[in-house]
Amino acid sequence: MHILQRNKLAIFIGLIPALIIYLTFSIIPIVISIYYSFMEWNGFGPMEFVGLQNFIDIAKDPIFWKAVKNNIYVVLASVFGQIPIALVLALLLNRKVKGAKLFRTIGFMPVVISTVVISLTWNMFYNSEIGFINRFLEGIGLGSLTQNWLGDPKWAMISVCITIIWQFVGLYFIIFLAALQNVPGEVLEAAEIDGASGWKRTIFITIPMIWDSILISVILCISGSLRTFDLIYVMTNGGPAHSTEVMAIYMYEKTFSSMKYGYGSAVSLYIFVFSLLLIWISRLLLQRKSK
Amino acid sequence: MENNQVVSEHERNISSKVDTTKGFNIKKLIKSPIIYLSLIIFSLINVYPIVWMVINSFKSQQEFSLDPFFLPDTWRWDNYIDAWQTANLGTYFFNSIFVAVISVVVTVLFGALSSYFLARFTFKMNKLVYVLFIFGMIIPIHATLVPMFILMNNLGLLNTGWTLLFPYVAFNLPLTIFILTSFMKAFPKDIEESAIMDGCGIFRIFWSIILPMSRPAIATVTILNFIHCWNEFSFALVLINDESLKTIPLGLANFSGQYNTNYTGQMAGLTMVIIPTILLYVLLEKHIVKGMTAGAVKG
Amino acid sequence: MLKKMMSKAIALTVIMSVLLLAACGNNEKSSGSKDGSIELSFWNSWSEDSPENDVMLERVEAFQKEHPEITLKMESIPPDQYKTKLKTQAAGKQLPDLIQTWPGAELRPLVEGGVLMPIDDIAGEWKDTMIPSDILADYAIDGKQYAIPGNKVFTSIIYYDKDMVAKAGFEEFPTTYEDFKVLVEKLAKEDVNPIALGNKAKWPLQSVYMSTIGDRVTGSEFLEQVLAGEKKFTDKEFVDALGIMAELAELNAFNSDANSIDDNQASDYFLQGKSAMFVNGTWALSGLISSAPEGKNIGVAKFPAVEGGKGEPGNVSGVTGWGIALNSELSDEKKEAATTFFKFLYSEETYQNLMGVGTLVPADVEVPEDTSDLFKEVVDLTNEGISPVYDAVLPAELTDIINNGLQAISIGQSTPEQVAKDMQAAVE
Repeated sequence: MHILQRNKLAIFIGLIPALIIYLTFSIIPIVISIYYSFMEWNGFGPMEFVGLQNFIDIAKDPIFWKAVKNNIYVVLASVFGQIPIALVLALLLNRKVKGAKLFRTIGFMPVVISTVVISLTWNMFYNSEIGFINRFLEGIGLGSLTQNWLGDPKWAMISVCITIIWQFVGLYFIIFLAALQNVPGEVLEAAEIDGASGWKRTIFITIPMIWDSILISVILCISGSLRTFDLIYVMTNGGPAHSTEVMAIYMYEKTFSSMKYGYGSAVSLYIFVFSLLLIWISRLLLQRKSK
Repeated sequence: MENNQVVSEHERNISSKVDTTKGFNIKKLIKSPIIYLSLIIFSLINVYPIVWMVINSFKSQQEFSLDPFFLPDTWRWDNYIDAWQTANLGTYFFNSIFVAVISVVVTVLFGALSSYFLARFTFKMNKLVYVLFIFGMIIPIHATLVPMFILMNNLGLLNTGWTLLFPYVAFNLPLTIFILTSFMKAFPKDIEESAIMDGCGIFRIFWSIILPMSRPAIATVTILNFIHCWNEFSFALVLINDESLKTIPLGLANFSGQYNTNYTGQMAGLTMVIIPTILLYVLLEKHIVKGMTAGAVKG
Repeated sequence: MLKKMMSKAIALTVIMSVLLLAACGNNEKSSGSKDGSIELSFWNSWSEDSPENDVMLERVEAFQKEHPEITLKMESIPPDQYKTKLKTQAAGKQLPDLIQTWPGAELRPLVEGGVLMPIDDIAGEWKDTMIPSDILADYAIDGKQYAIPGNKVFTSIIYYDKDMVAKAGFEEFPTTYEDFKVLVEKLAKEDVNPIALGNKAKWPLQSVYMSTIGDRVTGSEFLEQVLAGEKKFTDKEFVDALGIMAELAELNAFNSDANSIDDNQASDYFLQGKSAMFVNGTWALSGLISSAPEGKNIGVAKFPAVEGGKGEPGNVSGVTGWGIALNSELSDEKKEAATTFFKFLYSEETYQNLMGVGTLVPADVEVPEDTSDLFKEVVDLTNEGISPVYDAVLPAELTDIINNGLQAISIGQSTPEQVAKDMQAAVE
């Protein structure tokens, strides 16, 4: 039909600007990186084609698999920590009350703070000698529960995960806030009315309405968790003894410390594949059969 | 959309059954102390790092070493002047603003445009293009440093005022499109139909109807993109050599030497640098939470 | 309708092309010489606001004044990121004319990749006149010289609180390892943390401790011999050296959060009086002096002698610090300009200025009168002999293994035998 004809051109024009920049400056570098993953290269000399050798070497390295395990912790902690907390916060604070506005701003703050500050301040919570947590535990007589939160391999990953959860709740918080605007206001208020049944209505009405955003956030969360680098790098540098090492740190070290660019690129391909896998699984589990 | 119909019916049922007078306000108040307390604790934890950072930005290095917890003896405002110079913030601030603002505008504009077509139109390549954009969100940035450098070198785009715009836009597009598409998909289908009846062109619909309706999502991606660009470090490090073109994150790195770190100066620098972001968030916040009247179709 | 869209499309395309052209157009091609003056691009890591960097930047400025015909286009990059940037740009074949670099494992790949120019013809100026040839050799690979060192660092100085150590019964710092263990035990019993350690970055245990301890037990030739295949890491002496590290960990010599704090925070523990000792390099000296609280009595010592060890007990592990190298593609014109710069920069005046702010130098120049007493003590302490620092001699991969291995030993997650085995496996 007439409209369809015009549509094709419009679609083309609409997509072209984004596509040009994206293909040139995102896809092409990614493809080049994939090309490197089949090479052995130290950055200075010539590249040597080694086929799948990098991939095999990675698969044989126990440290890599340790990193994978740690990444899975981060994914689980993030998905089951950040998303629910962010959701509850968004539902609670989606009101035009003065106090709510302040809480919303504060809720978003961690996303804005630099990882250096986060690392230093959380270090002060976790410090085994003078940190808040241990001092608090001792103060209330639970001194036996004090741990070396960041220095003990058993606890390091958990401690780091808690900080990561804290850091990004704000991100999903505002995504959910925005999504909630799509839900007609009267529905929300009506649903909050009487105690327990109010919450039931929230679960059966509001949440289904923003389910797409929840799915989006889960996917974002997974992909972000598998690429997580900054905070862990500054807080523990992957230590102690690789107990907080994640794939992105492993990749960074191999690329820029050990000078194995091909190897590093191959690691990022593994990250890519793991992400696709987890995203596919989450879509299977969470996607509603929409009509 | 079917959902809307179902919801409106529920709506009507609820309003007729329940007393929406002052009654429920009191009930809310009863519930709230526990929630209020949790919110306060949560807020304290959130705010603490910033407060700590600001307090320590006024200390001398010796004071910080000896006691990182308490208030400074003397409030050393010179730390800020020194930090401004060490981190070269005069030049870098301008550069960062330039790069961030333009990147964000271009990203949101191109992103919104693409999201509109991906969300509201069906065409053969729709799924493919969408998935293509999502790929960009999955790759860790360090893997692309060297390829990006080589590519931009070949294009002659290194070390210019525009250099950083290209990777920033390219890497922020996926998230932008992801969020905006999801948001736009939720609009009722009839919006375009009545507009087309009135003779509106596709781009007119985009500009005058869809964009305003997407305001919360647009505000969200604006603030997120700004944060990414403002704090971005790796590309800025590798793609820019000229002192006069560098951005703030590079300047902040000047506080760390090979063996020592000037923590108090760094805190002062970080405090100054966090202000634009907080300002922007406060400005945009009201758009994110803007209450929307459901499904209005303006001609 | 169609027309409107077409015109919009055209407008968009035009804008895009203009942007792209503008981007290309903005890029100036850097030239070799403009109007008779020579331009040299120069990368260094003097970005931090430290007295040492101030000295160097002053000297560069002074050079510019004296030689207006040579323009130095300088870029200062923070040391943490220097590696990343250098390697990325090297991969893209875009290195500057003058490149700051570090010896050993940092230098080797650059040389092997052919990006540096040998400077044996220039180096004669300093060889054995101002700088002893064995120190100069730190920057030589396969007999060819590649850079001149600017400073020297010793990685293994024990800074101790004289009063706290005296209270534990040692008026003089222990000179044997056995006595040292007694000191550590006494301090630990009094609930005082014996040694402050910040090993988050993993290299301190290797560079600061293992380098000297290893030398005490195995002797200074050991690393070379292993790399040449004459000895192995699994030989008894190396395992014993690692054993000392394990022993110290067992005696609770270190603070329990050692692996989650960096050496800045560890030095804070020392300054706050929580720890009796702090072991670190000579770079920490000026910071300790300036931040020390009133009345704190800081002494310096080196790691005590180990009985039966093959190494010289007077050695302290050290290595030359940064040095500036030349890009292998330099034109003769530029090379001459660079030589002039080197002659100016690597001069007695520069070295003395550096010492004036508490930095050790690789040159045989007199220590200026007005430096702190503690600095003079350190100079004396380190004058007896220098032993190699592991990460300056070993290839990157081996350094990685020992760094991680030592961290694991310190928390009881690995044994000296295991780490030795891992290292030997990587050599083969």
